[in-house]
Amino acid sequence: MKQISVVIQWFIAIALQVLLFNNLQFWGLCQPQVYLLCLLMFPITLPRWADMLIGMALGLFMDILCNSIGVHMAACIFIMFVRQPLIAYFVQEHERLTGEISLQTISMDAFLKYTLILVFLHQICISMLSAWTFHHFGMTILQIVISATVAEGLILGYNIIRAR
Amino acid sequence: MQSLLKFIQKYSNFLVFLNLEVVAFLLLTSYNEYPQSSLFSTANRIVAFNYQVGNNISSYFHLKATNEALEEENVALRNQITVLQNQLEDSIEHSAYTYSHLEYTYIPAKVIQLTTNKRSNYLTINKGRRDSVYQGMGIRNAEGVVGIVSTVGEKFSIVLPIINTNSHISCKFTKNGYYGTIEWDGVNCQYAQLADVASHLCVETGDTIVTSGLSPVFPEGIPIAIVEKAELKEGASYYTIRVRLNTDFRKIEYVQLINNQTYKELKELSDETD
Repeated sequence: MKQISVVIQWFIAIALQVLLFNNLQFWGLCQPQVYLLCLLMFPITLPRWADMLIGMALGLFMDILCNSIGVHMAACIFIMFVRQPLIAYFVQEHERLTGEISLQTISMDAFLKYTLILVFLHQICISMLSAWTFHHFGMTILQIVISATVAEGLILGYNIIRAR
Repeated sequence: MQSLLKFIQKYSNFLVFLNLEVVAFLLLTSYNEYPQSSLFSTANRIVAFNYQVGNNISSYFHLKATNEALEEENVALRNQITVLQNQLEDSIEHSAYTYSHLEYTYIPAKVIQLTTNKRSNYLTINKGRRDSVYQGMGIRNAEGVVGIVSTVGEKFSIVLPIINTNSHISCKFTKNGYYGTIEWDGVNCQYAQLADVASHLCVETGDTIVTSGLSPVFPEGIPIAIVEKAELKEGASYYTIRVRLNTDFRKIEYVQLINNQTYKELKELSDETD
């Protein structure tokens, strides 16, 4: 049952990303990557290499849907590489975490820091790799800040609603 | 050997990470110049098919506006035919011989996928190699210039539109014939920038910008944009010009590929010179 709800959650997040958030017309400055929620909340019971392979698969899938081969893949692999050490740093008894990473399993403070860092790192990778140039660097920075802030707000909001 | 194994064991996660990132970057750099050339892989042929199906459905909702635009263009073309026929008759009367030399022909195409909210926007059209499309072909619609074909597949092609930060299209002012380059800063799909216009020229709001005809991609005189704001900063040798693009990329549906009969010959000549 738990697995089914995870699959549904992934499906909804990817569908929302492709059909809604990728099509936001805000002068190209706001493209929140909310599908990252799937990776952020993924349990840390698997070894890191398996985590990275999952990140690679999801990234490649997103790349096919967004026609941006390699961009999401590189970003997701990086996120899955740094995720486990980051949780170990913020959560003292991280060995006991067997379920998904959410506000129900870790404190608000740790969850906020953990998601904020990863959402920004992910957005930096996506924006820089998509731009592939340092021309209009100011615009890229603005896009990173706006998109990551909106994505963080949506991910946090979803988790707060779920925790209630 | 044992120390090597120990090293691998110790840094196994990092090595896996490095390998996977190398794969991702190889894919990324392979497709970076024309990110959507992957269209012609199996996965993207499916994506293109999906776009076409989705587009077929949504195009029904724009039929009225499209018909009106086509009608307007038909009238304009018919008028042009009349003018040309008159000119032809005049020339036959006044010259000893005539010859027909049709340099440009047009191939109609339909846009099946388009992005306008990115900085590297691309659009996909439903014509490819089998329809005589080649790389470097110019694309226009009833409103003006759209872009240049960047990648050609069997049935579909990828177009680098004006609203891509890598696009540079040669243009000129209709009023005085001075040349410039249209570029896009990646912000608003309705506006672009006009570069390389020297400070001694007179530029005013409302000036019309058309293709220069300097390259074999576009014939001379296709509308591109209208000057919205021209600024000359103190001490600058070039104007900072913001132009409103004629083509509304948010509503673009039908386009025409410009087939230059002499393109191959001109390209070969220019390659030989290089």
